[in-house]
Amino acid sequence: MFVRWALLLVLGLVSWATAKSSTGDSVLVILEPNLDKDNFSIFFDGLREKGYDLTFRSPKDTHPPVLEHEHAQFSHVILFAPETKIFASDITPQSLVTLLSKNTNLLIALSPKQTPLTSLAPEFSLVLPPPGTPLISHFPERDTPATVIPVNVSSSSPILTQGLAPVWFSGIPFSLQNNPLLVPILNAPPESFASDSESDNGADSIVEAADKGGEGLWAGSQLGLVTGFHALGGPRVTWVGGVDIFSDEYIQKEVAKGVESGNEQFIADVAAWTFQESLALRIDSVSHRRLNETEPRETYTTNDQLVFSTHISKYNPETAAWEPYSGIDDLQLEFTMLDPHIRTSLPPVPGTPGEYSVTFRAPDRHGVFKFVINHKRKGWTHLQSSTVVPVVPPRHDEYPRFLSAAWPYYVGAISTSLGFFLFSALWLAGDDRESKKTKGSKTE
Amino acid sequence: MGPKAPAKQPQQVASQSIPATPASQNALDSLWKAYNDTTSSRLKTVDAFLVFLMLSGVIQFLYCVLVTNFPFNAFLAGFASTVGQFVLTASLRSQVNPANRAEFKEVSPERAFADFAMGSIVLHFFVFNFLG
Repeated sequence: MFVRWALLLVLGLVSWATAKSSTGDSVLVILEPNLDKDNFSIFFDGLREKGYDLTFRSPKDTHPPVLEHEHAQFSHVILFAPETKIFASDITPQSLVTLLSKNTNLLIALSPKQTPLTSLAPEFSLVLPPPGTPLISHFPERDTPATVIPVNVSSSSPILTQGLAPVWFSGIPFSLQNNPLLVPILNAPPESFASDSESDNGADSIVEAADKGGEGLWAGSQLGLVTGFHALGGPRVTWVGGVDIFSDEYIQKEVAKGVESGNEQFIADVAAWTFQESLALRIDSVSHRRLNETEPRETYTTNDQLVFSTHISKYNPETAAWEPYSGIDDLQLEFTMLDPHIRTSLPPVPGTPGEYSVTFRAPDRHGVFKFVINHKRKGWTHLQSSTVVPVVPPRHDEYPRFLSAAWPYYVGAISTSLGFFLFSALWLAGDDRESKKTKGSKTE
Repeated sequence: MGPKAPAKQPQQVASQSIPATPASQNALDSLWKAYNDTTSSRLKTVDAFLVFLMLSGVIQFLYCVLVTNFPFNAFLAGFASTVGQFVLTASLRSQVNPANRAEFKEVSPERAFADFAMGSIVLHFFVFNFLG
């Protein structure tokens, strides 16, 4: 144990600037007293290695406070208090929501017991099962109890590394409602269900519910076990159905003969996403100008060719820096006045990393428009930006001088004038001859 | 100074023209021949100008009606240019025509032409101002 600590300390010093969060390094871990800190040593040491400062506290303590004088004291909070019924006043569900508005990320673990957190979860569109109904699965055949389940990790989530081994889980599932801010990370195996005892004496009711078309059925892969929530404004919250997934015991348990469980990497990925290390984007700058100019103008004219460009970077945890990122291939720009008049794609510029640019024609309406970027993808930071710009009708000298539709009239008027001059010239030139001719005919 | 005797000539022309033509063609030909012979070359110049103005006006009017009347001010200017110039030229013709000498005793042909020129210049000024 001591050697392990010493080794980790040395490693920690050597890898000083490895993966740090983009929003800060201070983590408050609220650990309930009947959970042993050493049982989560691999997880916590992993966090420390990455450069986080961990501070431990029990749920009933009020020191160190999470919020002091309306300022968040910590960048991230881990809440491993799944069975505590009473929380100190600064981590009640209300204050946790206040914390979110101060951009603090949360990692919350639940349990089959009912706690104040059970009433907080529905605020995030998660429906929890009735108290005392943990997730049970009788497949695959294994020598652990039915509540300790190996869950296959789907490879489609951008949060998790690819090719993870199945993950040991024990706890409750939750049902995800229709909220676009939810980010599913781990779903229950299809053959699992939530039931209030292991002895399957409630099996009939479950079969009935399944026959009835699934109402009241807590089963299947529609249930979430680890779900993220991307709050507006940036902070991320991850709800985990049970705290044991983080424990050393599950990390070291083999999921098949000779195959280690994927728990260690899984919880590292989940923590990295929650603490805004991975999939963190931001808009660095936004600019607009006319096509043949270099500086932005205060107002534009209708039917102008406008160029809009933006620089976007992604946080790189390894170098702890924001680097330009050209990997977004479906970024959109809207040119809006009450309704989007123009909605076009913002492709990345091939030569410059991180720059996205598009050229379009301003609509034929004058008014006050906004350049709006509104890019929301599950797991990624929401990119939102809006730049207001007035568009005015052309000034009196900006209209075309001669209209091409009027050239018959121009030709007509000019030919009339030319004809008049020609006629006058002929008239005056032919005057002598005419008078001679009339004189001639007179004499005849 | 009286008109020459036209009575004989159309008949002569008729007997010398192409045999077996319809009557209307015959009438047009005789009209054209009479016109050719009776009008002086000066009046023919005036008539040519009048025909040109009429064509120009008709073309502009057809364009306005069939294609677009979009720059309506331009249509009005162009059309008014031809119509106004036609009116002025027609009045010049009637004042200068020797056959009307009795009616326009106090207006000499030079005075008529001067009036015509003045009116035309004022007309063109207005036209180009309105043409845009």
